[in-house]
Amino acid sequence: MTLEQFVPFVPEIALAVAALAVLLAGIPMGRKAPRALALLSVAAMAVSAILVVLYATPSAGPEVILGGMLSVDGFGVFFKLLFLLAGAITLLMGVGYVVRAGYGYGEFASLVLFATVGMMVMASGANLASLYVGLELMALSVYILVGYFKLEVKSNEGAVKYFVLGALSSAILLYGISLVYGGLGTLELGAIRDALAAGSPSGRVVGLGIVLVSFGMLFKVAAVPFHVWTPDAYEGAPTPITAFISVAPKAAAFAMFLRLFLGAFRPAIGQWHGVLWVAAAATMIYGNLAALTQDNVKRMLAYSSIAHAGYALLGIVAANAMGAWSLLLYMLIYTFMNLGAFGFVALLESRGYAGELVTDYAGLAKRAPAAAAGMLILMLALAGIPPTGGFMGKLYVFSAAVQAGYVWLVVIAVIMSAVSLYYYFRIVVQMYLHDGDGSELAALVRDRWLEIGIAACVVVVLILGVWPAPALGWAQAGLAALGF
Amino acid sequence: MGFIQHHLLNIICYLPLAGALLIIFGIRKENTKAIKAVATVVAGLDFLASIPLWFLYRPDGPEFQFVVRGEWIPKVGVQYYFGVDGFAVLLILLTTLLTFISIYSSFTAITHREKEYYVFLLLLSTGMMGVFMSLDFVLFYVFWEVMLVPMYFLIGVWGGPRKLYAAIKFFLYTLVGSVLMLVGILALYFYNSTGLEAIGLPGLGNAATFEIPKLYEIAPHIPPELQFWIFLAFFVGFAIKVPMWPFHTWLPDAHVEAPTAGSVILAGVLLKMGTYGFVRFSLPLLPDATMKAVAWVGPLAIIAIIYGALVAMAQKDMKKLVAYSSVSHMGFVMLGMFALNAPGLRGAILQMINHGVSTGALFLLVGIVYERRHNRLIAEYGGIAKVMPLYAMFFMVMTMSSIGLPTLNGFIGEFTILIGAFNHSWVWALFAATGIVLGAAYMLWMYQRVFFGELTNEKNKDLKDLNRREQWTLIPLIILAFWIGLYPKPFFRIMEPTVTRVLERVGAAAPDRPETPAALRAVSEHHEEPAAEPAEASSETE
Amino acid sequence: MISTTSYLVLSAVLFTIGLIGVMVRRNFITVLMSLELLFNAVNLNLIAFSDRLGDLGGQVFAVFVITIAAAEAAIGLGLIIALVRLKQTVSLDQANEMRS
Repeated sequence: MTLEQFVPFVPEIALAVAALAVLLAGIPMGRKAPRALALLSVAAMAVSAILVVLYATPSAGPEVILGGMLSVDGFGVFFKLLFLLAGAITLLMGVGYVVRAGYGYGEFASLVLFATVGMMVMASGANLASLYVGLELMALSVYILVGYFKLEVKSNEGAVKYFVLGALSSAILLYGISLVYGGLGTLELGAIRDALAAGSPSGRVVGLGIVLVSFGMLFKVAAVPFHVWTPDAYEGAPTPITAFISVAPKAAAFAMFLRLFLGAFRPAIGQWHGVLWVAAAATMIYGNLAALTQDNVKRMLAYSSIAHAGYALLGIVAANAMGAWSLLLYMLIYTFMNLGAFGFVALLESRGYAGELVTDYAGLAKRAPAAAAGMLILMLALAGIPPTGGFMGKLYVFSAAVQAGYVWLVVIAVIMSAVSLYYYFRIVVQMYLHDGDGSELAALVRDRWLEIGIAACVVVVLILGVWPAPALGWAQAGLAALGF
Repeated sequence: MGFIQHHLLNIICYLPLAGALLIIFGIRKENTKAIKAVATVVAGLDFLASIPLWFLYRPDGPEFQFVVRGEWIPKVGVQYYFGVDGFAVLLILLTTLLTFISIYSSFTAITHREKEYYVFLLLLSTGMMGVFMSLDFVLFYVFWEVMLVPMYFLIGVWGGPRKLYAAIKFFLYTLVGSVLMLVGILALYFYNSTGLEAIGLPGLGNAATFEIPKLYEIAPHIPPELQFWIFLAFFVGFAIKVPMWPFHTWLPDAHVEAPTAGSVILAGVLLKMGTYGFVRFSLPLLPDATMKAVAWVGPLAIIAIIYGALVAMAQKDMKKLVAYSSVSHMGFVMLGMFALNAPGLRGAILQMINHGVSTGALFLLVGIVYERRHNRLIAEYGGIAKVMPLYAMFFMVMTMSSIGLPTLNGFIGEFTILIGAFNHSWVWALFAATGIVLGAAYMLWMYQRVFFGELTNEKNKDLKDLNRREQWTLIPLIILAFWIGLYPKPFFRIMEPTVTRVLERVGAAAPDRPETPAALRAVSEHHEEPAAEPAEASSETE
Repeated sequence: MISTTSYLVLSAVLFTIGLIGVMVRRNFITVLMSLELLFNAVNLNLIAFSDRLGDLGGQVFAVFVITIAAAEAAIGLGLIIALVRLKQTVSLDQANEMRS
C-alpha cells in the first residue's frame, strides 16, 4: 500500500479534519458567531466536493484502493456529491433554528460533518468492514443530533428510541455479516460476488446471513416492519435534523443497500428478493395508510418518507440496470423534495417544540403566497405529480419494476401514490382553501438562510421535473460500479 | 409559413402559460382590472392563434402536421413531440374557444382571489392543449396530470358549499385512473423494446421509444393477452375521465360545486380527453382487445345513456341535471366509437364537439341565473321567460341543440352515431334512440318548469335579462351550433383522415355509406323518432 | 480443541439472550447491556470464523466492532443522563411523549 492510494480518500480526510476544526472553533464561536461557523463548514464541504470531482476517474472505471477497503467509481462520486449538498443545505437551514432555540452551533455543525464523512465511506466502501465503519460513524453522529435539544423531552425521547433500535439493527446487520464472512471466507464485496457466482459450499449459512443483512438494511432505510423508530425520531428531532436524517442517511443506506445487494449479493438473488419485495409492498401500503391519519406535520412527513422508501425499494427489487439507475435518480430527487418540505416545517413557528399541526398552515396562501406556492410544488413533487422531479423519480422506479416483471407491485405502488395525494393535499387544502380566520395562526419565521435553502430545493425539484436528462446521465455513470 | 409550421403548436400551447406568468409576476393582486384584461387578451390571442390550424391543416397530407419535435430525455427515448391531426385540431379549437369564453364569462361571477383564479384558468388551458398535441406518451402523461392541479383549485377555491369534498374526489378519481394508465404505457414501452423479463415477455427489441406513431406500427405484433391488460389499464384511465358508468360518480359532485367557468371547461374539454384517449390510443394501439371489448363497452355505454337520462330527469337542481345529461351524452360518444365503423366514429368525434358547445353553453346559462339569484333549484323558478325573454331564447336554442333538433348541431352528431350503432346492431340503435327520447323529455321538462307558467316567485320579478357581455359569451357557441347543424361538411372533412386511419388500424372498417349532409337528411326521413320529438318540442314553445 | 460449531452455538445463544433483553426489558441500562451482548456475540462469531478460515480479516473487524461498541455505549449513557435529568427515570416506558 503506497501513500498515493490515499489520494482518492483525501475528500473524506479533509472533511474529517474540518469537522474536528469546527468542533474546536465551536467552543468560542458556537454561540457568538454561528453564521461564520456555518459558512466555514459549508466551505469545507465545498472543498471536499471539489476534491471528489477532481479525483474522480470516470474513464478508468471502478478501482479498489487501500487494501480493498474503498472503491473509487462514479457511483461513489454521485452519492458523495449528493451527501455534501444535503449536508450543506442542512447546515444553512439549521443555523437560525439552533440559535433561536438557544443551543450552541459548533457541535451541531461538527456532527453533521462527521455524519457526512460516514456516509461518504458508506457510498464507496468495497469491504464489509469499511461499509460498517462508515455506517456507524454516520449513525452515531445522527443519534446525538436527534437528541441535540437536550432540554426537550421529545428530542431526547426520539433519540433514545432511535438509538436503541438503531443499535439493535446494527447488531443484526453485523450478525448477518459474520455469517456471510464465515460462509464465504471473505469480507470484500468483489470476492463475495465471485464466490456467490461460483456457487458457495455453505449455502444455508450464507443465505441466512444475507437475509439478516437485509433486515439490518431495511431498518436503516425505515422499511416496514422495521420502521417503528421513524415517526418518533423524526418528530422528536430538531426540524433541520429531521430534514437531514430523512434524506442523507436514507440515501446513504440505499447506496450501501445497492452496493451490497445489487453489487455483491446479486448472484444469490433467490435468497433475498422474496424478503425485499414483500417489504417493499408492505412499506408502500403501510407508510401511506398510516400517514393519512396524522395531524402532526412532522409525523405525517415521517410516514411519507417511509412510503418513499417503499417506492425506492422497487429499484432494488427490480435488480436490473434500470433499477439501480432509477434508484440513484430517485434518491437525488427525493433529497431535495424532503429537505424542502421539512424546511417549510421549520419556517413555520410552532406552538411548543415539535407541535407543528396541519392546521398551522391555514390561510398561508393569503399571508405568504410565495411560501405557499413553494410548499405546493413540494407537496405535488412528493405525490409524484408532473411537472416536478417527484414524477420523474417515480416514473423511472416504476419503469424498472415493470421491466423486471413486477407489474403487480407497480400497481400497488401507483395506487398508493394516488392515495398519498390525499394527505399531502391536507396541507394544500389548509394553505389555499381555508382562510384561517378566527384561529390563532402560526407566524412565519424570518430566516433568510432558511428561505434560500428552501427556494433552492424548490427550484431544483422543478428543474429535475422539466429537464431530467443531465441528472439521468450522472446517475448512469454510477452503474458500472455495480457490474451493470 | 415555415415559422408557423414549426412553432404554431408551441405558441398555442404556451401562450396561456406566458400569460399566467405575466399575471403572477407582473400584476399586483389588487389590480383586478389589469388581471382580467391580460387574461382575456391572452385567451383571445390564443384562440386567434389556433384558427390557422383549421385552414392550414391538409386532410390529404401526412397524418400528423405542424410537427414540433426534439429530444427531451434521450437516454430513455422520451421526446418532446407535438403534432396534430384533424381530430386534434377540432378539439384544440374547441379548447381555445371555451377557455376564452370561460374567462370572459367570469368577470362578475368571481369576486375574490381573482389573480389566482385567472392564473389557474390559463395554466389549465396550457395543460389541456398539451394533452391534445402530444405525440409522445410521457409528454402526454405529463400534461394529462398537470391539468388536474389547476382544475382542483378551480373547484376547491371558488366552488360551492361542498367544494373540498368535490375537488379532492375529482382529483383522486382521475389520478387513480391515470396512474393505472401509466402502468399500461410502461408495459407497452417495454414490450416494444427490452421486454418484461420475469413474466416471460421477450419484447420486440426495437429502440426504446414512447413515440405514438412508432407505437402504432407495433400494434399488430402485441399478443392479445398483453393487449387485454394494457387495454384494461388504459380503459380505467380514460373511462373515469369520460366518465363512463360506473365511474361517473365524481362528475355530478365536481360539476355542481365548480364555478361556472370550471363547469364549462370540465364538460367542454376535460371529458373529451377520455374519449380522445380512446380514439388516439386504445383503438389504434390495441385493435384485438378493442374488438373484444366491444361486447362489454357497448353495454356500459348504453347503461350510461339510459341511466344518465333517467337520473337527470329526477334532478331538482338545474346544474346537476345538465351534469347528468353529460353522462348520457358521453355514453352516446362511446357507443358511436365502439360501433367501430365510419359513421359511428365520425358521429362520436362530432358529438364530442357538439357536447362541448351545447353543454358548455348550458352551464354558462345556468351560471347566469345562479349569479343573479344564488339558487339553481328548478322549483325556485317558473315563468321567467316573461322577465328574461332574451335569456329564454338563448336557453331554448341550446336546449334544442342538446336534444338534437334538426338544423342544430346535436342532430347531426346523434344521428350519425345512430347510423353507426344501427350498422353494428339494431339493439344498440334501439337503446340509443330511447336515450334520445329521454333526453328530449328531461330537457324540455326542465325548460317548461323554469321558463313557462306564472311568475310566482317574488324574487324572480325583477331579474335582469342578459347584459351585453353575457350575450357575447353565448353568441359564438350559438353560431357554432347552427353552423354544425346546417353545414357540417367541413367538420367531417377535417376529421376524415383520422377516422379512416383509426378504423384501418382497428381493421374493422365496416362497409361505408355516403356521408354527406344530404345523405344524412335522406336517412332521417325514414327514421321516425328523432324527427318527431323536436317537432313536439317546437310546438311546446309556442 | 473446541470446535467452531461450539463457538457458533454459544454466539447464537448470547445473541438470542441479547435480542430478548432489548425487546423485553424496559430499563434503559439493562437494554444497553443487552446491546453489548449482541455485539459481543457477533465478535465471537467473527473471531471463530477467522480462526477456522485462517484469515485475519475477521479479527480486524472484531477490533473495529469493539471500538464502535464502546462509542455506542458512551452515547447511550449520555442519553440516559439526559433522560434522567428530564424525567428522573431510566425506564423506557416513561418515554411516551409522542403517540401516533
